[in-house]
Amino acid sequence: MTRIAYVFTAAWQGFSRNPVMSIASTLTIALMLMLFAFFVVTDRGLQSAVALLESKVELVVYLSDDAKISQVLDVKARIEKDPAVSRVEYVSKDDALKRLRDISSRRADVGPIEEIGTNPLPASLEIKLQSAQESRRVAGELRAEIGNGVITEVVDNPQIVDKLLTITRVLSFGGLAILLMMLFVALFVIVNTIRIAVHARRDEIEIMQLVGATDRLVAAPFVIEGMLVGIFGAALALLVLFTASGPVTAALVQFLDILPVSLGPNFVAELAAGVLGVALLMGAGGASISVRTHLAK
Amino acid sequence: MITLEDVSKRYPNGTYALRDIDLQIDAGDFAFIVGSSGAGKSTLNRLLIREELPSTGRVVVDGQDVARLKRSGVPLLRRKVGIVFQDFKLLQTKTVYENVAFALIVTGHDGRTVREETERALGLVGLTGRRRHFPRELSGGEQQRTAIARALVMRPKVFVADEPTGNLDPVTTWEIIKLLVRVNELGTTLLVATHNAEIVNALRRRVVHLDHGRIIRDEREGLYAA
Repeated sequence: MTRIAYVFTAAWQGFSRNPVMSIASTLTIALMLMLFAFFVVTDRGLQSAVALLESKVELVVYLSDDAKISQVLDVKARIEKDPAVSRVEYVSKDDALKRLRDISSRRADVGPIEEIGTNPLPASLEIKLQSAQESRRVAGELRAEIGNGVITEVVDNPQIVDKLLTITRVLSFGGLAILLMMLFVALFVIVNTIRIAVHARRDEIEIMQLVGATDRLVAAPFVIEGMLVGIFGAALALLVLFTASGPVTAALVQFLDILPVSLGPNFVAELAAGVLGVALLMGAGGASISVRTHLAK
Repeated sequence: MITLEDVSKRYPNGTYALRDIDLQIDAGDFAFIVGSSGAGKSTLNRLLIREELPSTGRVVVDGQDVARLKRSGVPLLRRKVGIVFQDFKLLQTKTVYENVAFALIVTGHDGRTVREETERALGLVGLTGRRRHFPRELSGGEQQRTAIARALVMRPKVFVADEPTGNLDPVTTWEIIKLLVRVNELGTTLLVATHNAEIVNALRRRVVHLDHGRIIRDEREGLYAA
C-alpha cells in the first residue's frame, strides 16, 4: 500500500515540480491528439463520401431496337442477380427522347431537336452498382454479349471509377503515413519529457537501486507520469474538439450539403476512446523507453 | 559470508582494478580494506553489490554467485548488502526520517513495518531527535549516521562502508566508527574501506591491504601499515 502511495505521489511530484516542462509537453500532446482526431474525422468523412460517390457509379447497356421485350427482360433479370448490382432500370426509346427534349429545352447549346422525324435513340438498361470495384468485371461480362441481338453497346466510365479507387487508396495510405508520423512525434515528446524527469530524479533512482528496489518499481512513477501527460493532453484535446465541433459541423454541412455524409452512430464515443487510448499508450510507452534506457546504463 | 575466488577486474583500456584476489570473509567478521587511492577498494565494494561484474573469477555473497544473478535478482542481493559512502548520498528534499523510511517503502514493506523499523534504525544511530531535519540542517556526522540508518533499516547481512569517514573531522570520525563497531556487535558482517591509519591501528581488527589491485597483506588484528 505504501508502495502504491509512493508511486502515485512520486508521479504527481514529477509532474508538478517541473510545471513548465509538464505543461509544454501536455500542450504538445494535446495538439498532436487534436491533429490525430481531426485526421480521423476527415478520413472517416472522406471515406464515406467516396463510398457515396461509388454507389453512384453506373453502367449503361444500350439495347437493339429489334430486341424482343422477353429478351430484354431476360437480360435485365440476369443482371439483377449479380451481387455487385444494386438496381437495374429500363429506359425505353420514348423515355430517352423525353430526356433529350428536357435537356435541350434547358440548354441552348444542345439546340432544337424538333426536326428529328424518327426517334434515333436506343432503349437502355441503367445499372447502379453496389461497389465501384466491380464495375470493370460487370461491364466486361456484358460486353461479351454484344452482337447476340439484344445488347449493342456497353458504356462504363473506367476513368472515373479508377480515380475514385485511387482517391480511396491514397487517403488510406497517406493518412496512415501521416498518422504514424504524428504518433512518432508524440512519442518523441513524451520520451524527452520523461527523460528530463528521470534526470531530475537520478539521485533518487540511484538510491532506490542501492537499497534493492526492483526496476519495475523504479520505473512505475515515471510511467504513471507519462500517462498523466497523456491523460491531460487527451482531456484538453477532446475539450477543444467538442467545443469546436458544433460550429464547424454547421459550417461544413452548409458548405458540403451535396454530400449527406454520415460518420456512424457511435463515432463520437469511438473517437474519444481512440484519442484517450492513443494518449495513454504514448504516455506509458514513451516513459518506459526513457526509464529503461536510463536503467540500462 | 563473502568469498572472492581468483577475481580480476580489468577495464576496457587494459588496466586492472583488481588482480587475482582470493578473499574469504566469514559471517560476523569485521575487516578493514586498506590501501591508497586507486588500490581497488571501491571496485571491490562495487563487485559485492554487483554494480560491476568481475572479468574473471567468482564473487559469492551469502551463497550466491553474484555474476550469475539475473537482472531481477540484483535487488534481492542489494537488500542483503547495506552500503554507505563518503558522500552520504542522502536525498536533500527528504527529512532524516523520510530518507531512512524510503529504503523500506521502495522495497515494498507495509506501513507498519516502515514506521517500526525506521524508528528502530534511528534509535540505533541516535538520530531520533533529528528525524524532522533535512540533510542540509545536519552536521557531516549526522548525515553519515542517517545514511547508516538507511542501510541498517533493511537489516542487511553484510554492511559495506566505503570511506565512511573521508569527509569527517577526527571527533566525528570516532563517533561513526563506534557506531560501526556496534553494528558489527549486533551480528552484521562489516567491511570498512578506509585509508585512515589511526582508526585501523586503534581497533586492531582484520586488515586486508590492497596495492595496485592485489592483496599484499591479510592479517588478523592487523595494523594500517605492516
